[in-house]
Amino acid sequence: MKIKKGFVLRDVCGEQVIMGEGIGALDFGRLLCLNETAAWLWKQAEQQGEFTVDSLAEALCGEYDVGAEQAKADVAAIVAEWQKVNVLE
Amino acid sequence: MTKKFFKVAEHFFAVEADEEIMSQMGNYAPFAVDSCENPVFSVAVQEASAPGYTEEISQDEEGQSILCGRTADGLLAFDFLLFGVSTGVLVCDSTLKQSTLFLTPRDVLAMSTDDVQRKHVFALNNSLMVLFALATSELDTALFHAAGIRYKGLGYLFLGKSGTGKSTHARLWLKYNEGSELFNDDNPVVRLFKNADGKPVAKVFGSPWSGKTPCYKNVEMEMGGFVLLSQAPFNKISPLKGVAAYAAILPCISGMRWDKKMADGLHKTQNGLATCVPSWYLECLPDEEAATLCCKTVVYENGDSAP
Repeated sequence: MKIKKGFVLRDVCGEQVIMGEGIGALDFGRLLCLNETAAWLWKQAEQQGEFTVDSLAEALCGEYDVGAEQAKADVAAIVAEWQKVNVLE
Repeated sequence: MTKKFFKVAEHFFAVEADEEIMSQMGNYAPFAVDSCENPVFSVAVQEASAPGYTEEISQDEEGQSILCGRTADGLLAFDFLLFGVSTGVLVCDSTLKQSTLFLTPRDVLAMSTDDVQRKHVFALNNSLMVLFALATSELDTALFHAAGIRYKGLGYLFLGKSGTGKSTHARLWLKYNEGSELFNDDNPVVRLFKNADGKPVAKVFGSPWSGKTPCYKNVEMEMGGFVLLSQAPFNKISPLKGVAAYAAILPCISGMRWDKKMADGLHKTQNGLATCVPSWYLECLPDEEAATLCCKTVVYENGDSAP
């Protein structure tokens, strides 16, 4: 999967927020606040382009002191959240 | 063709048009200047068929639509429709330094002279608003969709979706909060500046665009607050901070956010405004209490004594 075109992560008043700016994303009509881990994962997902829960979990383990199982569970939950608000394809 | 210069929110622009069009631009008269150097945009207006374009995105509101696309030469094109009828097409080069507005020829419109003029004025006003919003998006400037009231020297903008009652709430201030003055009913301009200490300060300006209400005042004042309105069966006001304030002002600012540079510019302005201007959420009825509660709360916040 990958991030849909037109969605960007921005610093809004000190918080990390996803918003829809590109053509096709303008009707998103909301701001999605991310915690530090989720924002880090979003940037990873942007870098990876095409990504999976496993590829993000692996990256997370490399950056943070977290076990593989826990990382996968955390990533899966965050990715599910993104899928729910329809910012992935 | 004559060329005239205008200054809105301290930004200059130039319009070249024939006398018939110029005579319809009374709302711009308070903003006219004799000359200017380096306008943020220039536009030539002519009644002629427009080049074709491929539509990329459209925006609709209450019978008015803007279609945006590209011509075969890759130039930006904006088509302004009123109840499905094209009134004119604005074609811009990438620098916005020399754009052309093609007003739909009268034989194509096939209407009375008055109706043709109304359509052309609609296209012209929309074109100048689009150009202004695009040309200033990276200049700490935001063209708002809001009603603006001046009270005790400060500007308060009432925000909200169409039909929420922005103008109605502004009218209630005029009636019940003595000393209030309406300085714009639809499209005030807000700019961020730095004061002598380097602190950001937001100023709001009147504009030649004011929706259905003729209120074209060339005035400026410091911002006192943003008030996001929402209809409710009661009156209640609460402060908006940080992301919530940003989310309140974002949909009220015109811009072409699918252009990365413009989106970056607007984001910077929105962040600055959300940080330095007090913002409020007013759930309200269209009544006296809404206006007095709002005034008491937002004006008191600015260090004034409560009325």
